Amino acid sequence: MTDLLFRKLHRRDHRLSKEEEQALAAAVSHHVDAEADVDLIKEDQITEQSMLLETGWAYRYASLPDGRRQILSIHVPGDFVDLQSFPLKRMDHTIGTLTRCRFAVFPHERLRRLSETHPHLTRMLWLMTLIDAAILRQWLLGAGQRSALERAAHLLCEVRSRLDVVGGAEGETFELPLTQAELGEVLGISQVHANRVVGRLRNQGLVTWRDERVRILDWARLQELAAFDPTYLALESLER
Amino acid sequence: MSGRLIANLVAHGALAPEECAAVESLLGAVKTVPADTELVVDGEAAAECHVLVEGQAFRHKTLPDGRRQIVFFHVPGDMLDLQAAFLPVDYSVSTLTMCRVAPISRTRLAELVAASPRIGRAFWRTSLMEAAIQREWMVGMGRRSAHARVAHLLCEVYLRLQRMDLVQNNRCRFPITQNHLADAVGLSGVHTNRVLQALRASGVIELRSRELIVRDWAGLVAAGEFDAAYLHAPPNGMVVSRPGLSATPPT
Repeated sequence: MTDLLFRKLHRRDHRLSKEEEQALAAAVSHHVDAEADVDLIKEDQITEQSMLLETGWAYRYASLPDGRRQILSIHVPGDFVDLQSFPLKRMDHTIGTLTRCRFAVFPHERLRRLSETHPHLTRMLWLMTLIDAAILRQWLLGAGQRSALERAAHLLCEVRSRLDVVGGAEGETFELPLTQAELGEVLGISQVHANRVVGRLRNQGLVTWRDERVRILDWARLQELAAFDPTYLALESLER
Repeated sequence: MSGRLIANLVAHGALAPEECAAVESLLGAVKTVPADTELVVDGEAAAECHVLVEGQAFRHKTLPDGRRQIVFFHVPGDMLDLQAAFLPVDYSVSTLTMCRVAPISRTRLAELVAASPRIGRAFWRTSLMEAAIQREWMVGMGRRSAHARVAHLLCEVYLRLQRMDLVQNNRCRFPITQNHLADAVGLSGVHTNRVLQALRASGVIELRSRELIVRDWAGLVAAGEFDAAYLHAPPNGMVVSRPGLSATPPT
């Protein structure tokens, strides 16, 4: 099931063809199911395949020798979680699941062949990794210059916009399966602080956030608080 | 001129001599850009990307109210804005020193990548190695102390310059000022200054007149909790002075 990935690619290039869609689907060798809260691919591992998230939520994180963790990205259906291992092989961080997940597996050998038969499609996959990097730059900007409250607001704007592309949000409501400890590891703050930040977003009437479900009550004010500008997500169709 | 770029491109997979020549032929006439110039402008669509041939530069992002975050320090051999080959960049790049940069036309790059998937993968890898560095910065911002963040950054820049053969007798050019460091690690200038003083006082580094001298590499590594794995060093070490044409057969 590569339809969500194709939807993401098509969003960035409206001229992608049916044939390219089929070539992408044909590069999948099999599917893998994973339980929630397991590590799938560990730091330093060398892999011969890349995994596309079909259902569920996954994330990447790095851990320091003393056990401190920093979450580096969170992934929604339609995202590759480790496409970088196709050109780069060795993982420099760990990939884990937040919920039960299903993945489509792309052997690197097939991706290599695809790069020979369908160079444009490969360019589009490359573009997906560039957008991942742009998201990370936003997180860096946030970590250095935004307050924890602004960062949390930005995260919600970003997740909602990404889910919109793959049809994962129902209007103003979406799932966000992060515990408060994990939210702290995304925002670079303690669990207690994360809890306070969520409370402030609620008290300001911006969102409801309960049982891992978020409902945005005031999108305009949330965007303003976050200084959210979705340009970096490249949501428009680009010229070839 | 393209030696350092090629060294980066072949770091994880050899290119044949004719492929290196094809990359070389992509580079346009080298431009000299003065220090403190914004070379790449956030949001602007560009017909060209740029390779840093000589000098140092930094990549930054700014919030609407002017708060600035530095997200990358560039050394020679780096692509400054490979993303421009796909879409307008979401950052700016400014020079720290006088720089020499070579333009690459995005159309010609796209043609070459389409014709040679192996060259495409090599360029793709450079953007992924950039992303790996940014992830490491993110870990620092989220989880490292101020002291460790600054020391980590010094380790990274020093090592990347060393790989490009730009360190002699434990010394390298270091045009990154205290204010740049502060904007990169998310600290105030005063706080950054205190951390630098502590590193100097412990005899690990000397930092003066735009030069960094590393007196105690092991000490600096320990202070920065630095592990170079994220820089994805090539298996047999990078040979920068004699780049390209690695002995391993192309894959």
